[in-house]
Parts: sequence; structure tokens; C-alpha cells
Amino acid sequence: MNFLPLLLILPFILAGIFWLAPKISSHAFRWMALLCSLLPLLVLIMNHDQAVGAELNYPWFSAVPIAFHAKVDALSLLFLYLTALIVFFSICSVDDKVLAAPKFFYFLVFLLEGLLFLFFTMRDLVFFTIFWEAMLLPLYFLINVWGGHKREAASLKFLIYMIAGSALLVFAVLTLYLAGGKTFDIDQLAAVTSSLTFAPIACAIFLLAFAVKTPLFPFHGWLPDAYCQASTPATILLAGILSKAGIYGIFRIGFELFPLLLKEWSPVLLALSIAGVFYGGLSAWMQHDFKRLIAYSSFSHVNFILVGLFVWDATARTGALLQVFNHGITITALFLVAGWLEQRLQTTSLLNVSGLTQFLPHLSWLTLFFVLASVALPGTNNFVGELLILYGLFVTDPWVAGGLALSVILSVIYMLRWMQKMYFEGPTFFQEKWVDIGGREMAIAAPLIALVLWVGIYPNPLINAVKPVIVAFQSDLVQSQGHSLSKELP
Amino acid sequence: MISLRLTLGDVAAIAPLLILLLGSLAILLLESFYEKGARKYSAWFTATVMAIAFVAAYLAPTSTNELLTPWIRFDFMARFFTLLFLAIGFTTTLLAIPFFQRFESSRGEFHFLLIAAVMGLILVGDSADFLTLFIGLETLSLALYVLCGYMKKWSISQEASIKYFLTGALAAAFLLYGIALVYGAVGTTGFAALLPAYKGLDLVETRILFLTGISLVSIGLAFKAAVVPFHVWAPDVYEGATTPVTAFMAVGTKAGAFAAFAVIFIGALAGFNAQWNQWVSFASMVTLVYANFVALKQTQLRRFFAYSGISHAGFLLIPLVAGGEEAFDALAFYLIVYVAATLVAFAVLAFLDETQEGVMLKDLKGLFYRSPFLAGAFSFALLTLAGIPPTAGFLAKFFVLSLAFEAGYYALVIVALLMTIVAAFYYLRIVAVMFSELPEEATPLKRAAPALVIACCSLLVLVVISLYPDQLLDLLGP
Repeated sequence: MNFLPLLLILPFILAGIFWLAPKISSHAFRWMALLCSLLPLLVLIMNHDQAVGAELNYPWFSAVPIAFHAKVDALSLLFLYLTALIVFFSICSVDDKVLAAPKFFYFLVFLLEGLLFLFFTMRDLVFFTIFWEAMLLPLYFLINVWGGHKREAASLKFLIYMIAGSALLVFAVLTLYLAGGKTFDIDQLAAVTSSLTFAPIACAIFLLAFAVKTPLFPFHGWLPDAYCQASTPATILLAGILSKAGIYGIFRIGFELFPLLLKEWSPVLLALSIAGVFYGGLSAWMQHDFKRLIAYSSFSHVNFILVGLFVWDATARTGALLQVFNHGITITALFLVAGWLEQRLQTTSLLNVSGLTQFLPHLSWLTLFFVLASVALPGTNNFVGELLILYGLFVTDPWVAGGLALSVILSVIYMLRWMQKMYFEGPTFFQEKWVDIGGREMAIAAPLIALVLWVGIYPNPLINAVKPVIVAFQSDLVQSQGHSLSKELP
Repeated sequence: MISLRLTLGDVAAIAPLLILLLGSLAILLLESFYEKGARKYSAWFTATVMAIAFVAAYLAPTSTNELLTPWIRFDFMARFFTLLFLAIGFTTTLLAIPFFQRFESSRGEFHFLLIAAVMGLILVGDSADFLTLFIGLETLSLALYVLCGYMKKWSISQEASIKYFLTGALAAAFLLYGIALVYGAVGTTGFAALLPAYKGLDLVETRILFLTGISLVSIGLAFKAAVVPFHVWAPDVYEGATTPVTAFMAVGTKAGAFAAFAVIFIGALAGFNAQWNQWVSFASMVTLVYANFVALKQTQLRRFFAYSGISHAGFLLIPLVAGGEEAFDALAFYLIVYVAATLVAFAVLAFLDETQEGVMLKDLKGLFYRSPFLAGAFSFALLTLAGIPPTAGFLAKFFVLSLAFEAGYYALVIVALLMTIVAAFYYLRIVAVMFSELPEEATPLKRAAPALVIACCSLLVLVVISLYPDQLLDLLGP
């Protein structure tokens, strides 16, 4: 039986349930949402073996031939798992004592999950664009309704950036449609795009949209405000999945439709990504607010993933795919512990408190663990991914690789500076609200710790899972080399 | 030999018009002789008349009687517009009910004028001759001049009414002069003979005469459609008229003007001269840029919807520019989505409308906390108007733009897409106000059950269109 319809509809059903649910206590809603968010994950796990290759195809609009074409491949599957996991953790991070309008909140979260599932499986360019833009709306509301003091400005800035980034997408889609023989099917378009004269324009437009959402340096203007003003669950969704949507776009559209062009442009893109890694790191160093610090560190690490994409090497790309998953887990964990800290301090400023280890020992050690995972300590998940990326870069250009390796030191500096200030310096006066985390928080963190260690110590299953993507890439590489060889030889 | 008899089938074919005519006369009589009854029942009576006419239009056979065919068409385009206008008339009637519960005024004339306006609209959509088209437009306009100033004691309404009358008269003059020139060039005002006659013109002078005539006709219609630079009346008139009348103008008059455009330039004169398309593409760009930027600053919602309507007129011009077989489908699709979304918005405004100034942006503050459903419906309508996926507004825009792209109007497509950024900004600003700010004062919402029905029905239409757009196209087809 095809499980895809179930998977794609399930989040919308859950969203509908929350929309229609009678008013019950916030606490009950949270438990209900937690259990519900496990359902999509369960569907994925139960159908793991037959997931790759599952397909749906319905014609939708005949005047311009748009079809609702969904298909799962190894790449989609990775992102589907990531989405299901992060939605679960994001709901875990909800503080049900302060959450206003919980019904509407969970409705939006499941709506977002549904749109993301659709986005990660679409094979029709128009639907790809539709869900690409549609996922903004729930996020916009999540920031706007439940965020901090400046949430309105932040959410509007976020939205305008996103819409401006994707406004011309329709133009690119139409270009491909007309030049590519009147079809919106990505697989069919892939066969013809390399010969189009308009291809560079279309590719640039797509790339701009992905660059804004990921964000690639220098398209990150919206990021610090949005990450900081959003509530913890929304920040987790933003950092954990939304940034990955851009990366998925680069894989799905960039590498499938415009491989030759992107290869040609990769030095520039690589330079921008490396600049982003350092810019993010240095900015994180300068922050006096730990949520902003983590936001910039996330920006830096996401650009590290982009480095892996644009090196044009199979190992680096494996590393990048691994990092997609790892970064999702680590950044979720970091924002989770930062959220717990914020709950206790009622501020995100670094200036007024220090030496919290005395009062919050468990939270302190937990934070330290995730911080070390984030700075890629051997044995944690990020170590494996970043090492693979650096290795791929080293093979291509040792000097650049050497330079980039410095960024790892940079990340240690800013992360440990935070730990040092907040937890380990001379303590400030104790306050009543500083209650250490308990069993509930530990239970939430436990699966995250397990995932960090699992990928860190035994990454093979994950590497095997993403192998089909890399194999396809390698065969492309061989083909294009053969292609260029045959061009050179008369 | 021409038969001079109308059979029962012919009467059935024009039944919607006859039903409206009889209904409007009946309501005038009711108002004259039994004012108390008119006060109570005229709205429901009008709604019933519209509904019956709708069913009649749906079932109506086509007629080939030569007494009718030179004046009235019975093709799928006419049928579509008839049904659309009747639906608009029906919804406006219901939207007016809560308004009249709040503001004291006589009712009978209002409904008589409303039916007359709808009749004018239908005549425009069905016209097979410039003269029928003109009569239709004038019937519509005359009724609207009065409807705009219906609240006699509101000074802004008086101003709106006189402004509308003056510009409307000017537009009619343009239109009529254009028709005269066309007649002078080709010797006919019938649509069917227009294109062959134009193709047969040999002399440069007569061609110029014809093209001048068509230009004047286009300008006359551009006034009605509020296309920049012939839009100046729209903001003031929308602001000054009462909310139900503004709703009617936003959807009805707009749809009527584009029905006239479609009948002439998609039906009769399809692709007659590439230069006309160039000029219209230029007008569309100017309209989009101007309206979208000015809409950024609006705080009175009726005025805001005037600019929103102008910007959508820019979009609606695009299928006319692109031409081709699918132009009518694209126009009709866009029109349906625009009408449904705008009706949802005005239905929500009916809950908030309590002074003659109308609803201001600040009145929407915290609407989400007062009524999640209304806020949700209003947001959905605004997102649809902004064309943000996955609403049907996106598909409508995509469809329209794909035609323009195929016809090679790249600059137009790019301008339109860039303007959607601006549009997203001002539509979403309203959404943000509803969701993020707390209400200033906790006055309970007005009661407006009929408006709620309209909101629900229009929402349903929008959702169904998003899910099954193909089926809608099938319905539109011949």
C-alpha cells in the first residue's frame, strides 16, 4: 500500500483537529500535540523500507499542464525525517504556562509540517514554488503572534525578505516551462535545461530564492531579528528546518536542473559561503545576547554546509548531507537549552548574570554537552560531517581547507566564551526563579543526546542512507567530465 | 423573411433580464403603496428575485431568433457573465441587510436601483452590439450615481456622488463618440461584423477613423474599470459611498467594465491590431505600479480597497494584452477569484461598520482576539488578493502571467511580479494588525448574520477553486 497520501494528509488532519478542538487546558493541549507529532514520525519509520520510490501523480490544472506529482527519493526522505523530528522537538520546547492561544499555535505548527512534507516531495515545478512560498505564512504568524517585543517588525522583515527573494520565481518557472517543451515536471526539465539560452537567468533567480531562505552570505539581513524575536519553538523551526529548505532547493533544483551552471559558478558561491562562515562566527563572538549568539552561530554553520555543497566533491557533499541532519539536531538542542535558560533568567542578555553552574548544575552540563557537539568535538555528530566537508575541500584545495579549519577554532572561541561568562565565572546573587531542570527536561534532551552520539560514533547508517544521492552525483560528474573531454577532442 | 414572433423558448432565453425587470418594478410599487412592508421584506424579496433569475440563467436555452441575436448574444461568455453578475447582485443584497439595520434610510429605492444596476451589467455582458453595450453601461451608471449618494445626509456621499456623476458622464461621452467614429468607419455597430469590416478597410483614412474610435471606446471603458490614468474618481467614490455600495462597485462595476473589454477585445476584435495590445500593456504596467505604491499609505479600508481594486484592474488587463485562445479563461478565472476574495473582505467589514467614515485600519486592531473566525476569513481574503500561495490568488496570477509570458510581454511579467512584493507588504500589514495588536476598546462586534453567510459561501468557493481549478475551467468553457 502506498503510504504517501497518508503521510501528506496526516499533518493537515492534525491541524484541523486542533482548529476544531474544544477549549481544554494548555497543558492538555501540549500532551495532545506531543502525541500527535509522533504520528508522522511513526508513519515514516513504519514505512521506512518502501518509502523510497513512493509516488503520487494527479493532473491538477490543464490550461497550463500542472500536475500534483509527489515522489520520495533518498534526498526527500532525509528531509522528511528531519522535519518530523524537529517538529516533535519544537513542540517539546513549548512552555505551556505562557503560551497564549495554544489551539492556534499547534494548528500552525502542524500546518507548517504538512506544507514542508509537501515541499520536500514535490516533483512539479509549480507546486514546488507554491509550497516553497506557502511555508512562510505559518512561520510568519508563529513569529508575529508569539514572539518578543519587536516581533512585528521582525516578522514583517522576515516576510518581505522571503517574498522579495522569491518574487521572480514565477518568471523563472515560466521561462523553463516555455523553453523546456511546455512541461513543469522536474525530471523532464532536467533533460533539456543544459541547452537553454535562458538557463543562467532562471538558475540565478532560483539561487537567489534559496540563498535568502538558507541564508547564504550576504542575504542574511532578516536572520538575527527573526531568530531572536521568535519564541523558542518557532526559532527551532526556523533554524532547524527552514534553513534546510533552502539547501534542499539547491539540491533539488540547482543540482538536478542546472548542474553545469552551478559547477561553473561554484567558485563564487564557495567564496560567499566561506565568507558567511567567518562573518557568522565573528558576529557571534561580538554578541552580548546568547540567543543572538546562537543565531549567528547557526548562520555560520549553515554556510559551512553550503561550502560542502559548492566544493563539488563527492565526500564533501556526503558531509554536507550529514550536516543537514546534524545541524538540525544540534541547533534544536542549543535553542532548547537556551530557551530553558531564558525561562529562568527572563532575559537573553549576557551582561548581568554569571556563574550559573552553582545554581543550575544540570542545565549547565547539558548546555556544555550541546555546545561541544556544536563546536565539532570528536565523538559528536558535527565532527563527522565537518571533517568530511574539510576533507573534500582539502582534496580540491588544501590552502582554502586550511583557512576554513580556522573557523572551527573561531566557533570554539565564541561558544566557550558564552559558557565561560554565563556558567563558570564568579557567581552573581541567587534568585528565587532559578530552579534547575528536572526529569521532564532531561527526558526531552535524552533523545537529542542519543542522536548526537549515534551519528558521532557510528555514522555509517546515515551515510548509507544518503548514498544514492551521492552516487547519482558521481555518475553525473563522470558524465560531465566525459562530456567536456569529448568537447576538447575533435 | 424575418419572423416577428418570439417563441416561448426565446422568452426563456432572455428570462433573467425579464425577471429582474418585473422584480424591480414590483419593488417600486411595494415601496410606493406599502412602505412598512418594503422596509421589512424588500431585501428578502430582492434576494429571491436574484436567486430565481440565477436559476433561470443557469437553465436558459439559447435563442436564434433574429429579433434578438443582433442585440444580445447567447454564447458561453454571455452566460458566464450573467451568472456572475447575478451572484454579485445576490451577495450585495445580503450585505446591505446589516447595513440598513444600523443606518436609518428607506429601503425600496435602494433595492430597485440595485436590481437596475445588475440588469445593466447583464446587458453589458450579453451585448452583441455597441448600442446594447452602451445602454447596459448607462443603466448601470445611472443607478450607481444615485446609489453612491444614497445616504442623503452624509456629506462625503454627496461629494462622491457628484464626482462619480461628472467623471461618469465624461466617460460616457468618450465611449459614445468612439462608437460614432467606429460606425462612421465601418458602417455597423454590431460586434459580429466588426472584425471582417475592419479587415476590409483599404483607405488609410478610414482605418485611422476606426482606430481612433476604438481608442476612445477603450478610454471610456478604462474610466469604468478605473485604469490609471483614468482612475481618479475611484478612491473618493469608494470612500464616500456606503459599504455595501462600495462592495458592489468593487466587484460589480469592475467585473462589468472587464466584461465589456472581454466582449469587444477578446470576443469581437480578437488580435485586430498589435499596437492596441502594446498600449494596453503599457497602461497595465502604469496601473500596477501606481496603485500598488499608493495603496501603501491608505488607512481607510474602503479607500484601500479602491486602490487594491485599481491594482487588480492592472492584472485583469494582462489577458487582454496577451490575447489568444485562453485569454477569456484566464480573465474569467482571475475575475472569479478577485470577486470571491473581495466579497469575503467586505462581508467581514459589515461586522465592523458603524459610522459614516467607514472602517479604519485601527478598527481592525486585535480582531483575532475578538473573533478568530472573522480575522481568519479576512486574512484568507487578503492573502488571496495578494496572490500568496497556496491560495487560489496565486494560481489566478500564475495563469494570467503565463499567458503574457507566452505572448512575449516579458517586461510586463517582471513588473507585475515585482509589484506583488509591494502588494504583499500592504495586504500583510493589515493581517499583522489583526493578529498582533490588542483591541483598543472591547466593543462587541455588530451582528450581521447575512454577511456571515456570504463570507462562508465565498470562502467555500475559494477553497474549492484551489483544490479543483480544472473543474472550474470546464464550467467556463463553451
